[in-house]
Amino acid sequence: MNSSFSARNQVAIVGYAQSDIVKHAGIPLGAIALGIATRAITDAGLTVDQIDGFTSSALFPSAGDHAVVDGVSTVSSTWLAQRLGINPRYASGFQGYGQMPGSIALAVNAIASGAADYVLVHRALHNPTGSYHGNPMQQASGPMQWTVPQGFFGPLAMIGLTYNEYLQRFGASPDSMANVLVEARKNGARIPWSYWHDRPLATQEYLDSPTLVDPIRRLDCDIPVDGCTAFVLTSAERAKDLPHPPVFISGFAGGSPTRNRLPLHWPLDDVYDIGRETALRLWNAAGVGPGEVDLPQLYDGFSPFVYFWLEVLGLCPVGEAHRFVQGGGIDSDLPSGLPVLSGGGALGNGRMHGVPQMLECYLQLSRRAGDRQRARASIGLACHASPHLGGAVVYSASAS
Amino acid sequence: MTNQRPVPVPDELSAPFWSAAADHELVLARCSRCGQLTHPPDVVCPLCHHPDPAYSFESVSGGGTIRSWIVLRQSFLPGFEKLLPLVLLDVALDGDADIRLIGRLLDDADTPLTIGSRVQVAFEEIGPGSSVPAFELEHA
Repeated sequence: MNSSFSARNQVAIVGYAQSDIVKHAGIPLGAIALGIATRAITDAGLTVDQIDGFTSSALFPSAGDHAVVDGVSTVSSTWLAQRLGINPRYASGFQGYGQMPGSIALAVNAIASGAADYVLVHRALHNPTGSYHGNPMQQASGPMQWTVPQGFFGPLAMIGLTYNEYLQRFGASPDSMANVLVEARKNGARIPWSYWHDRPLATQEYLDSPTLVDPIRRLDCDIPVDGCTAFVLTSAERAKDLPHPPVFISGFAGGSPTRNRLPLHWPLDDVYDIGRETALRLWNAAGVGPGEVDLPQLYDGFSPFVYFWLEVLGLCPVGEAHRFVQGGGIDSDLPSGLPVLSGGGALGNGRMHGVPQMLECYLQLSRRAGDRQRARASIGLACHASPHLGGAVVYSASAS
Repeated sequence: MTNQRPVPVPDELSAPFWSAAADHELVLARCSRCGQLTHPPDVVCPLCHHPDPAYSFESVSGGGTIRSWIVLRQSFLPGFEKLLPLVLLDVALDGDADIRLIGRLLDDADTPLTIGSRVQVAFEEIGPGSSVPAFELEHA
């Protein structure tokens, strides 16, 4: 791995907009995205005609039998550019897991190379009516033929196997995960746009929550929502003339396994082996280590990801995350706690796919977090997806 | 909506596997270039990356050990409702811990399980001429 990432701190976030996160918005997702994009551009002190680049991921993360329609159930960069009346110099979609880090990487590369000057990065998520993952399929072809006829289907079964492997290997109690949920919902309850605004969670409610696929409880899963977020990125040089303090992108990393696996089969050792490689790539690219990150925002679309990221990033020893979260290890209100879910995450906001982690880094590092502003917030880290096939980005409040 | 479980649709790569499964026999693909077993077979050998693996299929014992498991309390697919709660096992097959199968535990869903428990492949007939791998605990 080349340790000199030449775009380090050369590109910055200069503005954002966030929609309300709701169960069903009642208006098309594309209409929400158009409004949010326009607000983000204005927030950055720019006009629509100055935006010449667009990046995003348009993945619609449902295993269910739903039509995927651009502008309705998802919003791609090219869809959004056209509706803003822009013929962009650069528009690209990220294919793969870790959609936010992937979209940010595309934007940084475009700006650092000069392919675009002002890039709009957005993410739009939709909650279809009907069962989110329910699928009436009668035949399983392609990769799914190997697992679906046995009943192994969808993301709950996927994370359930990996999580139980963790619990069994390290002798962890599933009840320890209550600490993660309570922390996510505590912080989400403080965020006005969150689906869970004003609705913190008590430990007992978590413990009483039914399992859907043992050992995964209903509350271990983020809730599907309608919502959209947009960020504007530009060069560090151009950012100097814009109204808000820029937040610089120090580095990003991702990875993916090379081992042949059954579809949706994520053995715990794959998570660790590839995840640790991703973490090393990230520290090399960003020029920082885990001890320097004061705002490590961990991905939590399913709660066990918090354990996995804590361990692969070196924030606690392997096999210890279930103990670390007890006794205030991740309590963002304690001086000694690591603020890994201070932005509420997906469990505290709704299924916004890596957005809450990135947004918290931006708001805190640009000192725009209002009542929630933390004193110490100079280097942030935002993860997305599983450590073995997702990614992460390191952000910095200063360019040096 | 019908209430049948989804059946596998064999293709060029998988036909020998499903044909053997119909006879309640477990076969795995061996790459003719590197000589290693792999599952599932891919158009490119996952181990030596040869673009024409020319797989041969051979019978294996079907013994293995449990690596992990889940208990489905609800299913998002048709045909499983009457089988709930349903235990699915992640099994490392004997001989190569990196070859895994996922299948139902046919024993009682309340049977205590541990990582490393021994299991033996069995087959569930889920449609005419269509059987899929499942597992039974080995009893010493």
